[in-house]
Formats: sequence, structure tokens, C-alpha cells
Amino acid sequence: MNLPELTWSLLSRALDAYADSPRATNWLRGHLARFTEPLRLAVTGPHGSGRSTLVNALAGEVVANGPEPTRHHVPASRSQPELTLIDTPPVDAEGADPGSLERICLEADAVLHLMGHPHNADLSFLRTVQDHPVARAAPVNALVVLSRADELGGGRVDALISARQVARRYRRETELAGLCQDIVPVAGLAAQAGRTITEAEFETIAALAAVPKAELEPLLLSADRFAADEARAALLSRFGLFGVRLATTLVRGGVDSQAALAAQLLQRAGLSELRDAITRYFTDRARVLKARSALIGLEVVLRMEPRPAAAPLVTELERLLAGAHEFAELRMLAALNTGRARLPDGLKDEALRLIGGYGDDPPSRLGVAGPEPQLRQAALGALRLWQEYAENPVLGAAERRAALTVVRSCEAMAMAPGL
Amino acid sequence: MMASPWLGVLDDTIQACGAHARPDLVERLRARRAELAGPKVRVLVLGESGQGKSQLINGLVNAPVCAVGDDVTTSVPAIVQHAEAPAGAIVTGDDARNLEGPGRVPTPVESVTARANRDTGAVRAEIGLPRKLLETGLALVDSPPIGSPASQHTHRTLAVLPQADAALLVSDATKELTTSELDLIGRVQRFCPTVAVVLTKTDLVPGWRRVAERNRARLQQDGLPATVIPVSASLRLAAARSGDKALNEESGYGALVRYLHQDLMGHVDLLRRRSVAALIHMTVEQLGAPLRERLAELREGGTDELTARWRAAGHRLEELQRESARWQTVLSDEVADLIADLDFDLRERTRRILREAEEYFEVADPAKDWPEFEGWLRENLRSVAETNSDWLLDRFEWIARKIARQVAPRSGDVLPEALLDAESRDHIGDLRMPNVERFSLGQKLFVGMRGSYSGLLMFGLATTLAGMPLINPISIGAGAAFGAKSVFEERGARLKRRQAAAKTAAHRHVDDFFLTYGKQSKDTVRLIHRELRDRCTAVAHELRAEIADTAKRIKQVIDAETAERGASARELTRAIEQLNLLYRRGHALATTQAARGLTA
Repeated sequence: MNLPELTWSLLSRALDAYADSPRATNWLRGHLARFTEPLRLAVTGPHGSGRSTLVNALAGEVVANGPEPTRHHVPASRSQPELTLIDTPPVDAEGADPGSLERICLEADAVLHLMGHPHNADLSFLRTVQDHPVARAAPVNALVVLSRADELGGGRVDALISARQVARRYRRETELAGLCQDIVPVAGLAAQAGRTITEAEFETIAALAAVPKAELEPLLLSADRFAADEARAALLSRFGLFGVRLATTLVRGGVDSQAALAAQLLQRAGLSELRDAITRYFTDRARVLKARSALIGLEVVLRMEPRPAAAPLVTELERLLAGAHEFAELRMLAALNTGRARLPDGLKDEALRLIGGYGDDPPSRLGVAGPEPQLRQAALGALRLWQEYAENPVLGAAERRAALTVVRSCEAMAMAPGL
Repeated sequence: MMASPWLGVLDDTIQACGAHARPDLVERLRARRAELAGPKVRVLVLGESGQGKSQLINGLVNAPVCAVGDDVTTSVPAIVQHAEAPAGAIVTGDDARNLEGPGRVPTPVESVTARANRDTGAVRAEIGLPRKLLETGLALVDSPPIGSPASQHTHRTLAVLPQADAALLVSDATKELTTSELDLIGRVQRFCPTVAVVLTKTDLVPGWRRVAERNRARLQQDGLPATVIPVSASLRLAAARSGDKALNEESGYGALVRYLHQDLMGHVDLLRRRSVAALIHMTVEQLGAPLRERLAELREGGTDELTARWRAAGHRLEELQRESARWQTVLSDEVADLIADLDFDLRERTRRILREAEEYFEVADPAKDWPEFEGWLRENLRSVAETNSDWLLDRFEWIARKIARQVAPRSGDVLPEALLDAESRDHIGDLRMPNVERFSLGQKLFVGMRGSYSGLLMFGLATTLAGMPLINPISIGAGAAFGAKSVFEERGARLKRRQAAAKTAAHRHVDDFFLTYGKQSKDTVRLIHRELRDRCTAVAHELRAEIADTAKRIKQVIDAETAERGASARELTRAIEQLNLLYRRGHALATTQAARGLTA
């Protein structure tokens, strides 16, 4: 049985053990019900880090602009599976109740934490999120987003490139790496604009792009200059200087339709990358993250209302956490993607595939489509191969450790009853 | 420049540091004094990462001399100052604090900061540029970003902070001043009171005016007197490229240059006064803190333990006084008991002896048994005397221990053994044998004859009636029988007499013994009693004297200490007073002429 199934049975048993406690029963029922709901993704960050902008960009419409924590259901689309986004109050708000943020994090299955520059960032909130017996087992539910990536690069058209360099440097730093899966730069305002660009806006941008370069450049020098005209000011407030610069450059470069510009903007603002990361780390593994949330909920019940009947459940929970290969897989996935763990080039791709980096179902993991015996054959083949890697003295200790994780994934597939 | 009054105050402060044995402060202040006396004005540009500190300097000197990048770039301070021709140098060495010193490696001016940032041994980069702005002695110091307190970058920046005459805190216009930046301004102002906030990247966001206003309001609200100057380095550099004067003014650099040129360089003397005031403020704080701490300690009074001991000694003394009355009563009571007990014991024992002696002489014949009796009597009396006096000694020993426990419970055995060796004299005396008249043969014969006479006569006369002669066998037999009887009777009477005499003699002897021994025993008791009392009194006295002495000594120590405390407290107060005076002088330096300029 895998983690979600084990968690389900554990929760059902807990429901029996706590049948006489209405509070615990309600709580556990809620967690069981969450299993079938879409993934809940909380967007957190300090004041002015662009939480609402990012929620809007992800939702594809202007849904968040109030200070209240709100939930938005985002239906599945081509590039993004079904999600529930939670907009949260700022983590550094004065007089904020620290418990309210914690509750939100208990409610969410995954967290997008926004920050400006990682050098100046306050990591205490992320630490709080991971400060739970279950969460500590593996920090697999958080992504850090450098949400004002355009400002990191001084608003230049190539700002995202430098922001990516910054992200690359910090994602290998032990402290941040221990708190999140990956760091993704996003130019929030430009991304939101890309998702919500209107025909009229496209027209304005196209008109601007048509202006001779010598005339346009002084206008784009500063926000003040650009905002001198009312129509342009409106555009600026929606796109930001970086967005305007990027859009005009793109149109000038030959992007000639609203849809193409929107797609390009999303690409260049880093939103596509963020969506990929969300898909890779969160929605593809929604069942694992749901199980994780449920285990956290179960741990709370076991801790708050200890009773003899629940004692075996405590042991079971500990065993489940200690042996949960799904968490190890997720961490390995992030480590390979961010370069925290390395494997030789040819092996890295295969390892990523086997631990579910390109799809969680056995055929995509094994790269083989066919009936069950064929899959099992492939799984056994991969298992033998990776067992050899895991014992290969040519590879370093860290690489062998990574190979061992892959071995366990292969074992799970080879042993799975209904492959 | 006129003779500077601040130099005098600074020199006095240096002297005060010397007086308070702080050579480290003296050295630091001397170095700082030398810097202050020079013409150079150092303006430290500092702020969090990615705010555009290096770019700000590049904009000011219109040249890309400080390396800029999107990530943390600056890792060592770079000092930009005037030079006839462009020149660069990387300074290595271990004294990162000092901005001037040897160990310079000349490096091309375009790459000096980039190389210094990469060079792990570098402590700073130096750049000389021929610029009008710098001609007056202005030196701009670029610094690594302030971040977590533990990071090396933060440490490096804070290390050069004390050398700065003014500081520009750089914060970009995309956000308002954060709490940590406000904290930083407060911290910087302690070292370097002249701080301006430069709001960079105003080209990037349309709302920078609002941010600037909010920053000003926030600074005012927090009581931090700092000018806010919004600038845009990219506009400035673009203006420099195109030579566009309007664009240059739009960049805000004009205001910044005016601030540097007029407000700072135009009031160097005020800057110096402020720096000196801040310096004195900090020095006085550093010198004063331990003094105040010690003063507080003195005032709290550390004699608690001594006073407690002194009180305990007084208490003990009183207790001893009470005890002495008590133990004396106990002693006399015990001795009276002892005397009564001894007397009774002696009486009882002698009576038993007498009773036994009388029983003995009921049957025994003193004439024959006297020597044996005498031996027995002597033996018994001796044993009585011995038992009695042993008992006396035992009882006294017990009393002595009891009293000793009361007199000096802690000081063990206060009573010498000598007290208890009572002399054993012979109390028994000579026992004279009572006069025993012997019943000699002649007497027996005479008594027998006298007895037999009446018998002979009685029976002789009776038998004559029967016709027998007076002397006949019957009368002779009767005579003999009568004679024998009277001899026997006489012997019994004599024995009775002898026994009575012996009893009397024994009585008298025992009485004598009782008298002499009793007297002597009582004497012994009194003697020992007196001895014991004197001993105990002496011990108690000694003890009292000892405790009184201790109390006195403790009192003396307390008095001396109190006096000493008073003296040192006065001294400390005076020293603090002097420091306060220095502080006020320093403060006065900063406030005179403050009316004009710089407060903005």
C-alpha cells in the first residue's frame, strides 16, 4: 500500500478510536473529506510582496485585492490542474495574530512563500510552517517565489535572467534548501498582466511599439515619464514598467497578436516556470500532499486527546512517517532539479523519470507503455540497474545515496500488486 | 578653519579614558581625532542588499567605478575620493577598521572593486577620481550589504561605521522603509548623527512620491531626523550619456549633490562637532556604564552577610547570659540532691553494718572472735567508703557533663580530669577491742566453790535429818552440781556482758566512721562543687569574651567597609559627574549652530 492509502486507513481507524469525541470526529471527517478536494495552495509573504498579484496571475482573473484571507477555486486548465488558492494576510503585519497564519498553513496542503530578495528575507515564517513533527519529516510542501523578480534586475527587459541567477544561487544554500523545495523567480505584475491582457491594452502596446525607438526610449526611461499620459499611466499600473518595456520589445520583435503576446509575457515573466514547479512538486503529488496534511491533522488529534485506544495509532503514525518513501522521492526530485544532488547527465534524466518527475503513473515512470507483465519486467530491469549504481564505487557517496532512493522507487513499482 | 573648540573637548575625553584605564578607547579616540583633524569628510553609503548602493556612487561620480550586479556584489568597502588622475588600489591587511594604511596593491580603476570583491584577502578598495564634487575632501564609502547580524558583510560595514562623518542609507523606492532599515538608521545615528535616506530606483515605480512621503512621515514619527532624497541612477547615467540637463535634474542627483556639497561640505565644522558629540556620547556611555553598575552595586550594600553574622553573635551573647543563670541553678540543685543522696546512702549502709554486727554478737564471743570481727568491720566500712565516694565521683562526673553541655555545647570537654581525683583517706581509724574480762581458772574455782557451798550445805542438812553426816556423797554430789551450775551461769553472764560491750564498741566505731567520713565526703562535695562552678564560670566567660570579640571585629569590618563604600560611592559619583559634564559639553557642541542647516 502506498502512503495515501495507508493514511486513509489510519484515519479511518482513528475515527473508530475517537467515536465518542465529537470534536475529534469532526476534525478527522474534515480531513477525510479533504482527500477528494483539489489541492489547497496558500500564498504567503510579507507586506507588499505581491501576494494578491500572484493569486490573480495564477487564477487568471482579478480575484484578490482585499486584506481578508480568501479562497479561490481555480478550475483545471490546459497548463494547470485544478487548485484552490488561499490568499493570506501578510506574515509581518503589525499586531497580527500568529495563530491565524498557522491555522491557514494547517488548512493548506502546500505553500507558496513570496519574498523580494532572499538576502534580506525573514525566514521565520517558513520555519514556523516546517516546525511540526510531521512537517519536519520532509519539507515537501513549500516553494519560495521571488515575486518581484523584475525589480531584482532593475526593471530591465532581461531582469528575469538575473533573477534566475539569484534563485539558482540561493536554492543551493542549506538554510533555504531545508525549508523549501525550490526557488522560482516571477515578475508578478507582468505575469498578472499576461493572464488578463485585454484587446484594448494590446492595441495601446502595439501603438507604442510602432513609435520610433528614439522617441519611445526616453519615455521608457522612468515610470514618471511614461505615466505623463493618462492612457499610459493606466497601462503602467497594470503592467509595471518592466511589463511595458517587455511588451513593447516583444511586439517590436514580431509578436503580433494578443494571445501570442500573453503567452510570451507569461513565459518571460516566469509564470510558466512557476506553474511547472507547482505541477511538478504539488499538483502531480496532490495525493501525497493531501496525505501529509491528513497526517498532520491526525497528529494534532493524537496529541491533544491522548487515550489508550489511540496508542497503537501513534506508533503506526511514526512508522508511516519514518518509512514514507513518497516524501523522500519528492525531496530527491527537488534536489535533482535544483542541483542540490547531482548524478551523471545520462542518469539524472532516468532518475527523474523513475521517481516520477515526468508523471506519477508507472508507465510514465518506467517510460514503457504496455500490459502489466511488460511493466513489471521493465521495473525489475530498472531495479537491477539502479542497484548496481547504488553500489558502484565510481560514484560518490551523495550520488549513491540518490541512487538508493531511485532503487526504492523501483522496488515499490516491482512489488506493486496491480501495476 | 578657526581653532576648533571640539578638539579641546575631545582631548579631555581622551584624558578621561586614560584616567579610567581604557587604553583601547584612548587608542581608538586618538585615531579618530587624527581623522577628524584632517580635511577629509567620509560619507558612508550603506543599506540592505540590492538597494543600489554602488550604483548610487557610480551615478555621483558619473563613472562605473563600483561593481554593480543583481545579486550581492559588494563584499568589501570601497572608498572613492579625489585624485589628480584616476587611480585604484586594493588594500590588504588585517586591520579592516582603519580606512588608511599600508598594504596597497595598485589596480586599474575600472576593475578595482570587482577584483577586491573577489579577493578574499582584500579589506577594501580605494579609488581616486578627478572630480569637482570630491575636490573639497569628500570621500564616498561604498559598503557591503547589511543583512543578518552574523554575516561577514554586515560585520564589515559596521566596522567602518565609526569612521564615517555622515551616512547615506540607501533604500529603493519599490517599498517603504522596513522595520529593520529603521532600526539600522537608529543604530547608525549613534555613531554618526548625520544620516540621510536616499530613495533609489525612482524610475522603476510610479508611486515613488508616495513612498518618499510615507518614509518622511515614518522617520518623523520615530524621531529620526533624516532627510529623504529620491534619486534614480539609471536616469542620471542616461543623462550623463546624452548630456541632457533636464534629465539630470529629473534623476534627483542634483538635490543629492547639493546636499553633499552644501549641507555637508559647507558645514564641515558642524559635522565635526556632531561626530565628536556622538563619539563623546558613546565613550561616556562606555566609561559610565561600569561606573554606574558599580555604584548601584555599592548602594545595594553587600554587607548583608557580615551584618547577619554580627547579629548572630549578639544573639548568641544574650543566649549565653541567660544560659549562665540557668546552669548555676542547675548546678546547685544537682549538688544539693547529691549531698542528700550520699547522706542517705551512707546512713543506710552503716546501719546495715551495725545490724549485721549486732546479729553477729548475738552468738559470737568477742573474746574469741573479735579479731575476725574487726577485720570484717574494717573491710565493710572501707567498702562503704569506697562505694560512696565512687558514687560521688560518678555523680559529679555526670553533673559536670550535664553542666558542660549547657555551658559550652559546642566546645566539647571543658572539664579537666584533675577535678575528679578525690583523695581517699583512711576514715576508718583504730578499732579498739572492748575490755573483756577473762574468766580465769581461779575465778571459776571460786565461783564453783561458792555455788557448791550452798548445794553441799542444803543437801548435807537434809541428809543429816536422815542420819547421815553432813558431808556425805549425796551432799558432795549436790555441791559439785551446784558448783558447776553457778560456774556455767557465771560464764553465760560474763559472755553477755562481753557481747554488750563489743556491740557498744562497734556502735561507737561506726558512729565515728559515719561522722568523720560524712564530714569529709561533704567537704569533698563542696570542694568539687566550687571547683566545677569556677571552671564553668571561667569557660562561659571565655566563651562570652570570644563571641563579644568576634562581634566587635565584625562590627569593625562592617564599619570600615561602610566607610569605604561611602568613599568609593562618592568617588564614583564624582567620576560620573565628570563624565556627565563631558557629555553635556559634547552635547552643547552638537546643538550650537544647529539652527542653521543640516536638519532639513
